[in-house]
Amino acid sequence: MDQHQHLFDVGGTHVSRLEDLRLIKGEGCYAADWNLPNQAHASFLRADRAHAKIVSINVDAARKAKGVLGVYTGEDAVRAGHVKPLSMLTFAGKDGKKALIPERPTLAHGRVRFVGDLVAMVVAETELQAQDAAELIEVEYEDLPVVVAAESALAAGAIQLHDNVPGNLSFEQEAGDAAATTAAFAKAAHVTKLKLDCTRVAPNPMEPRACLVAYDAGSESYTVHVPVQGINMMRMQLVAYAGVPEDKIKVVARDVGGGFGQRSIAYPEYCTAMMAAKALGRPVKWVSTRSEAFMADSHGRANYITAELALDKDGTFLAMRLDWIADLGAYLHPAGPVSPMRNPVTCLNGVYKTPALFGRWRVVLTNTAPVSAYRGAARPEIAYTIERLVDEAAAQMKIDPAEIRRRNFIPPEAFPYKTPTGSVYDIADFPGVLEKALKLADVQGFAQRRAESEKRGMLRGLGLSTVIENSGAGMFPKDEVLLEVATDGKVTAYSISHSQGQGHETTFAQIIGDALGIPAERITLRQGIAEKGLIGNHTGGSRTIVGAGTVCHIAAKKLIEHATPLAAEQLGVEPSQVAYAKGEFQSKDSDKKITLGELAAKKPLSVTGEGKFGSTFPNGCHIAELEIDPQTGVTQMKSYVTVDDCGTVINHTIVEGQMHGAVAQGWGQIFGENVVYDPETGQLLTGSFMDYAMPKAGWISDIHIADHTTFGTISPLGVKGMGESGCTASLGALTNAVMNALRPLGVPPLDMPLTAHKLWQAITSAKKGN
Amino acid sequence: MYAFQYRKASSLKEAGELLVKDADAKPMSGGMTLLPTIKARLAQPTQLIDISGLSELSGIEVKGGELIIGAATRHQQVASSKVVRDALPALADLAAHIADPQVRNRGTLGGSVANNDPAADYPAAVLGLNAKIITNKREIAADDFFQGMFATALEAGELIVRIAFPLPKKAAYAKFPHPASGYAMAGVFIAQTAAGVRVAVTGAGSGVFRWSDAEAALMKSMDPTALAKLTVATDDLNEDIHGTREYRAQLVKVMAGRAAATIAGKN
Repeated sequence: MDQHQHLFDVGGTHVSRLEDLRLIKGEGCYAADWNLPNQAHASFLRADRAHAKIVSINVDAARKAKGVLGVYTGEDAVRAGHVKPLSMLTFAGKDGKKALIPERPTLAHGRVRFVGDLVAMVVAETELQAQDAAELIEVEYEDLPVVVAAESALAAGAIQLHDNVPGNLSFEQEAGDAAATTAAFAKAAHVTKLKLDCTRVAPNPMEPRACLVAYDAGSESYTVHVPVQGINMMRMQLVAYAGVPEDKIKVVARDVGGGFGQRSIAYPEYCTAMMAAKALGRPVKWVSTRSEAFMADSHGRANYITAELALDKDGTFLAMRLDWIADLGAYLHPAGPVSPMRNPVTCLNGVYKTPALFGRWRVVLTNTAPVSAYRGAARPEIAYTIERLVDEAAAQMKIDPAEIRRRNFIPPEAFPYKTPTGSVYDIADFPGVLEKALKLADVQGFAQRRAESEKRGMLRGLGLSTVIENSGAGMFPKDEVLLEVATDGKVTAYSISHSQGQGHETTFAQIIGDALGIPAERITLRQGIAEKGLIGNHTGGSRTIVGAGTVCHIAAKKLIEHATPLAAEQLGVEPSQVAYAKGEFQSKDSDKKITLGELAAKKPLSVTGEGKFGSTFPNGCHIAELEIDPQTGVTQMKSYVTVDDCGTVINHTIVEGQMHGAVAQGWGQIFGENVVYDPETGQLLTGSFMDYAMPKAGWISDIHIADHTTFGTISPLGVKGMGESGCTASLGALTNAVMNALRPLGVPPLDMPLTAHKLWQAITSAKKGN
Repeated sequence: MYAFQYRKASSLKEAGELLVKDADAKPMSGGMTLLPTIKARLAQPTQLIDISGLSELSGIEVKGGELIIGAATRHQQVASSKVVRDALPALADLAAHIADPQVRNRGTLGGSVANNDPAADYPAAVLGLNAKIITNKREIAADDFFQGMFATALEAGELIVRIAFPLPKKAAYAKFPHPASGYAMAGVFIAQTAAGVRVAVTGAGSGVFRWSDAEAALMKSMDPTALAKLTVATDDLNEDIHGTREYRAQLVKVMAGRAAATIAGKN
């Protein structure tokens, strides 16, 4: 373990991002920045209603409009065979039954199923011409009943969205030990039950979706410029959806402006652009508007959970039982349903030694935009569920919230710890994390601060959440990183894991620079270079540092190992007589030296490192302190403390940036963000920033960030991952803080979003005594 | 966006003529409402007549007990003007809290007042101070100018040239920003003048309106407690996914109380 502790002393713990200067100077290259000679422009006609049969589509006027090159509808999509997106929901569910996967022609065929569903694509010489022509398309619809809420979709007699999915239930699974859980509940001294809505949110990355597709008839191959989290993941899905061999699709991406899971999908727009590029023999470009993004980008969360916790009279957890409904929208995104089916099961007990667990999960289809992974991908939901239960139970049993957690933590000596659902937590120190956070948040002084707020007529609350989440393991067979040494000694690294803002260029350069003993500035990262043919996972699930990050270290060590005999040959000594340091090989018994660059000048010098890693378990404790104005219901953050164990920290600046962003996202979800559909019509009521409340900079005050590190055992670097822990921990901490402030008034448990309006109503109603 | 012609007017006179000639032409100053509307294909003007550079529409001065501001003056200029800060600090504060820095550096006083968005901030000050709207044709009193959601007394080809704000003894504006848009969900402007007290409310209803009960109460005592027993009639207030009428009524009352407290020096 010692090596981990000093590994990143070199270079300091706060390192500014190497990519920032390029990006803030406007030198980034995002998807819409790509242009090709002779390109045409696409615009889509989208469904203006949530559920209807398509009786007829008349595209005659659009075809004749100025500049129009082609108009495509569901007939074309079906003819091209673009009807089945990849599904990763391949495992068996309850009673061994596989998921029922609906088809999704890339352009709706016969029926539209959500507002924003693609009806037709127009390709024209200019974007404006394509937009104008799309308005000339006449669609005759026959409206169908609409079902927006997942529970309604499951109800008997609900309108069915897809012929092959009876009752709109695509998949059902159970996990845990039903009998043991039932038995534990039967003997419980206390049961806490909550219904928890993890509301639907819009990812809203800063860069809108876009694609530019070129088709080469000679080689029958496509080049697809598109924002990604990893080119391989994108290609794999395009191969499946468009039915094109893998070697005929090249995905190109450079800078990506935000992802949050939204970039991990091969959307139908991309495949229709492939269809048109082939048909027209011209590159086809499409850039989404923000309105389209609200309608048709993947949404996040949308999980609705009924949860129960059984406790003995001392507050020891005996069992937990869940009934989990995942609303996946009108169609299944490739990995959309996998997140809520897998991640909550992996960490079903959270940080606690709860002996009996049982849950039932259902994947449901509704007349809403398809849902997929969103920062945390159901890890925040399960953590929120557990932490809300624990806090409510503590309040009901009049046990201090920190104390009830202490009583139930998996103790540090229990690691590696096998959980009731079969995960192995390798190492952690939950009590250590909690005590550090309690101290940093000055929890002892809270009562005094609350009294001071009360004098000003304000309601003050403090809430904590102690969480764990799974990271590390990826879906691809391994992660590869290629290192190429230039003749000036500079190193270029290539990875599949693609930054959407995480700062790979800096972190990877630090890891490689550390291993090679050269400054990070001498290492350039290139991401998503298809020609290198690398295997690797996309960025997602906080796993990049564990996968590609660790492989950067492995590759650098391999480079030294590989180059040592080459250097020995040049120096005319035995390899055993050569020592490497700081970019140079030196003969041990003379001052003869050769640098990496000089070696590369003799003969091209490169290596590919690889690694495959199991699950890691980052964990932490967040404590939020808030003040609520009872006159308006507005919540103000007073302090926010995070103590996280993400294993080795490579760069505190990056870790803090991740934490700021993720806590802001958590704050957004709890206090405002919420995708709302009209329950009667399925119209999107939050289709722009006029109605969709993104968190604003002024809403977040200082966030105090600290580490409490145990070195992970899965990666030789000791890293665990940390991109999502801010979301995972903040949902519970913030809600618990609000409930802590309002509970004394008699306010019952509330669900997100805790808008000022909702809090004012709850406070007013409680004061009236009902 | 639909295609349109862009013309930069060389004079106020020319701008007025161009607009009279073409009923589907639109004047544009900062464009902070118009351009997003056009981009979303919700407006289809034939021409945009750019009036932002016209010298007739610029200038900030105090004259004859009035603060007179040119229509093309940007929010940021109002917020940072020493003349405004000295003469009518409540207006500078109001301007400093409109939207975001990007919008404040483009959007203009005249554009905002002419658009009369029911959630815009400026109409509250214009009505609260009983300002005069001086156009290329006439002078219009604030009480006659605002005619409900996006509707004003302006006629075809009529452009706001400047607005004259009578200087009050004291004034204050308190705003509860909409959680998503940042527009006023309830904004209350209170002006204390020799003639009495005026209370103008924006954001909560279908257009800016005066709250006469509050005016009467604050006339007796400029103190937030004077409002304690009042209720805001909810019939004409907005109700949507962001809040009920009752919530908006509450916000109006709380914001009025905060503005009154500022005037009373109790903040």
